[in-house]
Amino acid sequence: MKRIPQHPKPSLAETTGPRYWRSLDELSATPEFQEYMEREFPEGASGMDGVDRRHFMKIMAASFALGGLGFSGCRRPETHFLPYAKSPEHIIPGVPIHYASARPVRGGAIPVVVETHEARPTKIEGNPSYESFGGTTDLLTQASVLDLYDPDRASEHRSAGRSVSRAELGDLLAGIGVSHAEGKGAGLAFLAEPSTSPTRLRLVAALRESMPKSIWAEYDPTGSDGSEAVATRLFGRRSRPIYHYGKAARILSLESDFLQEGGGQLRAAREFSDGRRVEKTGGEMNRLYQIESHLTVTGGMADHRLRLPSSRMAAVAAHLAERLEVRNAVADPETEGEIGDAFEWLDACAEDLAAHRGESLVVAGPHLPDQVHALCFLINKSLGNVGETVEFVELPETGAESIETLAAAIRDDEIRTLVILEGNPVYNCAVDMDWATVQKSVETVIRLGYHADETSELADTHIAGVHYLEAWGDARTEDGTIVPIQPMIMPLFDGLTELETIGRILGLTNPDSYSLVRETFGERVPVTDEFTRADADRVFQKFLHDGLIEGTQYPRIERPIQSGKAEDMAGRIRLPKAPDRENLEARFVADYTVDDGRFANNGWLQECPDPISKLTWDNAVLISPRLADELGIEPGRSMVQVARKDPNPGEDGRLRAPVVEVAIGGRTVRGPAVIQPGLDNYTIVLPLGYGRSRTGRVGTGAGFNAYSVRGSGNLHTASGATLSLTGETYVVANTQEHWSMEGRAIVREANLDDYHAHPEFVDHLGMESHTPPVYGKDKNLPLSEQVVDTPKGNSLYEHPVFDGTHQWGMTIDLNTCTGCNACVVACQSENNIPIVGRDQVRRGREMHWIRLDRYYSSGSTDNTKIPEDPQISIQPINCQQCENATCEMVCPVNATVHDSEGLNVMAYNRCVGTRYCANNCPYKVRRFNFFDYQQRELDKLYQGPLGPKGMPELLQMAQNPDVSIRMRGVMEKCTYCTQRIQKAKIDRKVQAQDSPDVEVPDGTFQVACEQVCPTRSIVFGNVLDSESHVSKMKESSRDYSLLGYLNTRPRTTYLAKLRNPNPEMPDSNSMPLSRVEYENKNHVGAPGEEHGGAGDHGDHEIETDGGRHG
Amino acid sequence: MSESTETAVGVAEIPAVLKEINPAVLKRPDLVGHNRSFSWITEKICTITEEKTPKWWWICFCVAGFIASFTITGLIYQVGTGVGVWGLANPMNWGWAIVNFVFWIGIGHAGTLISAILCLLKQKWRTSINRSAEAMTIFAVVCAGIFPVFHVGRVWFAYWLFPFPNANTIWPNFRSPLLWDVFAVSTYATVSVLFWYVGMIPDLATLRDRAKNKVRQVLYGIFSMGWRGSNRHWNNYEMMYLLLAGLATPLVLSVHTIVSFDFAVALVPGWHTTIFPPYFVAGAIFSGFGMVLTLMLPLRAVYKLDDLITQYHIDCMCKITLATGSMVGYAYAMEFFIAWYGSNPYEGFAFVNRAFGPYAWAYWIMISCNVISPQLFWFKKVRRNTALVWVISIFVNVGMWFERFVITVTSLAREFMPSSWGYYSPTVVDIFTYVGTFGVFSVLFLLFVRFLPIMAMAEIKAVSPQADPHHGHQ
Repeated sequence: MKRIPQHPKPSLAETTGPRYWRSLDELSATPEFQEYMEREFPEGASGMDGVDRRHFMKIMAASFALGGLGFSGCRRPETHFLPYAKSPEHIIPGVPIHYASARPVRGGAIPVVVETHEARPTKIEGNPSYESFGGTTDLLTQASVLDLYDPDRASEHRSAGRSVSRAELGDLLAGIGVSHAEGKGAGLAFLAEPSTSPTRLRLVAALRESMPKSIWAEYDPTGSDGSEAVATRLFGRRSRPIYHYGKAARILSLESDFLQEGGGQLRAAREFSDGRRVEKTGGEMNRLYQIESHLTVTGGMADHRLRLPSSRMAAVAAHLAERLEVRNAVADPETEGEIGDAFEWLDACAEDLAAHRGESLVVAGPHLPDQVHALCFLINKSLGNVGETVEFVELPETGAESIETLAAAIRDDEIRTLVILEGNPVYNCAVDMDWATVQKSVETVIRLGYHADETSELADTHIAGVHYLEAWGDARTEDGTIVPIQPMIMPLFDGLTELETIGRILGLTNPDSYSLVRETFGERVPVTDEFTRADADRVFQKFLHDGLIEGTQYPRIERPIQSGKAEDMAGRIRLPKAPDRENLEARFVADYTVDDGRFANNGWLQECPDPISKLTWDNAVLISPRLADELGIEPGRSMVQVARKDPNPGEDGRLRAPVVEVAIGGRTVRGPAVIQPGLDNYTIVLPLGYGRSRTGRVGTGAGFNAYSVRGSGNLHTASGATLSLTGETYVVANTQEHWSMEGRAIVREANLDDYHAHPEFVDHLGMESHTPPVYGKDKNLPLSEQVVDTPKGNSLYEHPVFDGTHQWGMTIDLNTCTGCNACVVACQSENNIPIVGRDQVRRGREMHWIRLDRYYSSGSTDNTKIPEDPQISIQPINCQQCENATCEMVCPVNATVHDSEGLNVMAYNRCVGTRYCANNCPYKVRRFNFFDYQQRELDKLYQGPLGPKGMPELLQMAQNPDVSIRMRGVMEKCTYCTQRIQKAKIDRKVQAQDSPDVEVPDGTFQVACEQVCPTRSIVFGNVLDSESHVSKMKESSRDYSLLGYLNTRPRTTYLAKLRNPNPEMPDSNSMPLSRVEYENKNHVGAPGEEHGGAGDHGDHEIETDGGRHG
Repeated sequence: MSESTETAVGVAEIPAVLKEINPAVLKRPDLVGHNRSFSWITEKICTITEEKTPKWWWICFCVAGFIASFTITGLIYQVGTGVGVWGLANPMNWGWAIVNFVFWIGIGHAGTLISAILCLLKQKWRTSINRSAEAMTIFAVVCAGIFPVFHVGRVWFAYWLFPFPNANTIWPNFRSPLLWDVFAVSTYATVSVLFWYVGMIPDLATLRDRAKNKVRQVLYGIFSMGWRGSNRHWNNYEMMYLLLAGLATPLVLSVHTIVSFDFAVALVPGWHTTIFPPYFVAGAIFSGFGMVLTLMLPLRAVYKLDDLITQYHIDCMCKITLATGSMVGYAYAMEFFIAWYGSNPYEGFAFVNRAFGPYAWAYWIMISCNVISPQLFWFKKVRRNTALVWVISIFVNVGMWFERFVITVTSLAREFMPSSWGYYSPTVVDIFTYVGTFGVFSVLFLLFVRFLPIMAMAEIKAVSPQADPHHGHQ
């Protein structure tokens, strides 16, 4: 068969020089002429098309072969590749090139380094030059590379129902500029997403200058940051608080998910986790108090967590302000009773904060009302934190209008032309604004969008947007540092950037993004006597190379906060009625994976489990266990109800969630209700970003649209919601059904002071504490000797000899891991891990090589009742790379074996797929290709050989060529990124030449999960090198092997989790609740005692000391 | 005991049994009823293959063939699409396929036990049932063999489990119990076929001699290998049979021991137990006798074989079923005891979970069928009620399938990491592929009934009252 490579066609605008044509037909590109060009033979020669002799013979031969065997699935996959006809400059096939760039995010940008293979970007990593992020990235950035290769992205410009060329589009846009120039821009409006790009700022300024009557509005569906708004009002100019979590010993967070939200979440996570690193006993650790209605990732890390409705935060802040004597007479008798019995908690917390003046921090979630932010600023001021843990910086003015102003202008019929730059207001605008109608009433609507989505559907012209990996641009990080956005590849579908679109309307003749950015930058490079133009180019090159310009942070505001002004803003607290069963409080939150809906068509993110609920592919109405109880929702049912009714959800592997109807302000939405421990009792959480009506193949049918009940008055929190059961059920796809650790010593935890008293506590937990030491007498040998020399049991069988130069090992610090999931997708991107789809996840066949186990613990061994207020323990699990690997022993064909460097390696080609290894893996990290996930469409997996086959060409480009694609019937698992190890070793050997110095120095390379981890919880390296970071980590007294008693001797070890409760708090426990469960289950002594002593084998349960609020 | 030895120890005066007591010798029941003659036996067995094919046979054959097509369709679909069409998932990477494999291989145990061990133990009652039990064994092994082959992800490479020299010099992993399985099952299948065939040679010669058409003459002629029934033939034959019995006896124990290693060698709580080998062997014999009863009782009724399969035969089989069923019950109890005694929380949990977890329904089906129902065989009344015996034998079959299900699936579903617990549900393909194997088995068994002597005529004659020169008089 003739292969037709499907390259994007070059646009007419790009061809330079005079054009020649063979005939008028070619000039006008008639279909007849194109057919003529594609013909191999002149007309007539192929008159037998379809049934010529050769073709007939081929078909018949193939039919016989297939008919005879009936096993068309057995054939080896056939692949084509095209070599370069002429080798391009700078590209060595097989050697990736890295470029610095940045991904713009809400409130900032993440500086990145992109790995490109033969000019295809395949993997994104953080730019280590930007020190405050330390070269890490977040989940969404990791997944964003897949969007570039989304087969459903807008691939053409369309206007008035037909495809238009780039040149026509340019004329159209220029025409808009011309037609509105006369009226100084009257009748022209723009709606864009907020951006930090200096070039856009420059263009918008130019726009305002030439068309002062035009409207420039900005809109973000998840709303603006309340703390910025309050700071802006306080200082009289646009400003933003910057929190220094690293300097804070005590942090009180009011519903702030600072580890996940905002442009600086990576810095927050790094600083926060650094404050929790207890390298040695006696070390100090920060303490996090979290008050929230929803269970967030940050809340999961809290040492003390108080559940309160979101609407009570103002009362909490007021009470704290009063306690800390911020001002007089804040306490409002009306509000006193509204926070229930939380006063004791708050008072103890306030005392602790006051005891850490200048090194404490109170931070409020960006969605909270201005009152709360004003009060928090005041509290921080009175605690002496301003200038220490809190700073304010000044942001450049944007002068942007709000979407409400724009909508009003449209309703007043003032707008003739509306240009929407990205965003998706038709889908995600507040429902009472009825943006769809508003938009339709405008004469001409031009939409620049990456996807042809709901908004494009109602626009006259859709301009295909570009991905940030294929366009020039610039951005500023959270602290203001200017970073470049460099294209890695020509726009795949000839899309237009936002800058180019604005430039066209401005009337610039050839507004290509590069020139626009370069021009902006030219203003910053002083071309004076010293700096010639050539120098400016050199400086610009350095900017692109480094990926940032040092010293371009936003200026600090040194002015103190004016207390009076802030107090006025705090005003009097008016609280809505406290939520109850009939009057629920609904929270709207951006989803952790698909964000506000923009990632709905990203398969990696759809399949990435929510960090807390572990749901994939859908959202759900999250309800508290108490509410579920009152509604009469039975948590779960057995498939065959013979023996008993099962109290735990998903006990039969299927979480059947009852479908509920949520009514808010007269509008209703239906969705599955999932019980989420840790929620405020009468708060329901509606994650946004799902239920897209017009999206690609991946996102279609995912979840319900929570925007449909979200009015402009309650963008974040709505009171008066009601919830009713519909009687239907929906099976949600979650990756973890069982929530309890069952009193097993899997995640080992201790309180900080207990750890100081008993640094060896991990050794006294689990079966290892009862069985002979795994390492025998060699337990006290140095690690580097243990891994190569110690006897590995008394087996007759010869064990692998670990005589390699390196012995690889890993540690995962459970104390700092927040569970952000970045490692999951980083691994997926690096290792070509397929997605399997909702149906397969329901069956439990997800393929992630690293997963994050999330356990709830309540201290009770009775796990038939879902706890209302649990503690969260999160544990990343990848292949533990056991020295005595249980999987290897049982593989009948030697497909999984050990190498000399201690790695358990998989020979995919040798694997026949008995799956015995996966059964025998105690950690359950092996993943089996039940279908040809890489070759089949996910909804057609069961069609077998009859279904369509093959990966879309675009998706093929996303694959990492260093890692093989696994076919069906093959087992796979974490390899410790063996491709990276090999590359580092080869590079080192090349460097070493003839010298014996082939050991890869520590830190030369990082494995994918380690590289991305914002909290540096994962450390990988050579354990033979006693100076390596990983060896140092393994020396920690908190280091333990998971299920170590099995004598698997895993190379991945864990550092136990520490909690730092305040003993003065009413909910303080003398030991972590999972530990209480362990002690109760194993009938050992009272908390803190060394167990094994005489007479302490009583059956008494250890009570959790803390009173639980609710 | 002779009197001289008693004299030697000095207690000569009082013999152990006083002469005047003269205990009555219990008459052993006749192994062939109604004192049937040799020719009656020959006539009875040979007619089954010689008569016109009965209508019921055709009906049964068509139904069985239809059911067998389920397996074939299921396997074609599975191989063409992926193992995912079954209900497998992480952590239950083994499901019905392995359950069915162990189930069928267990059934295959009775044949060789009856032929070999009972032969060595000179249990004469084996002669009426050994032939069809051996046939059953072979057909069960055929059904069993389907599953381990097709459950692998890439069945076209399944031959890599065999140690064959290859250019890559990669050998199979001799530590893996699955590899031991390959050897154990293939050896067992080979020896069983040999044993079956060798035992059949004299009877095939009888059929050859009675054949009235050319085809039968030639085919039976070839397969009876020139048997003429001479003294030398009989001498060689008996020796051969004895040697094969000696060879097959350890296999009865080894096959299921090694199958149990698939589980016992793994570290999954609930699998990792040393009691598995004897427990599996007892269970296999238990299920094998269950299946023999299930097959023989209808056969006896259809062909009116009451004189050849007498009440005594049924009694014996019931008693073995009772004994092995009780052993299995003991093993269940012992597993629990050791789980508690070993005080390993993971093991302890695995067993409590079996009995009271989400799979408790399967566990209690297993207990009722395997432990409780055979206890009825203590009662003679029950043993004499053929219909009831047949029903109980079905229970035994059901119970033993559930035993394998309970062991394989409940252990895997809830292992060490609570985060990775799951629940196995079969798919339609699972169910059809399994049900189809009963069709495969029935097709083969029906062909056996129709074309081969279903009982060892020569051996039955040797143990019949007619063969006894004393005619019951001592």
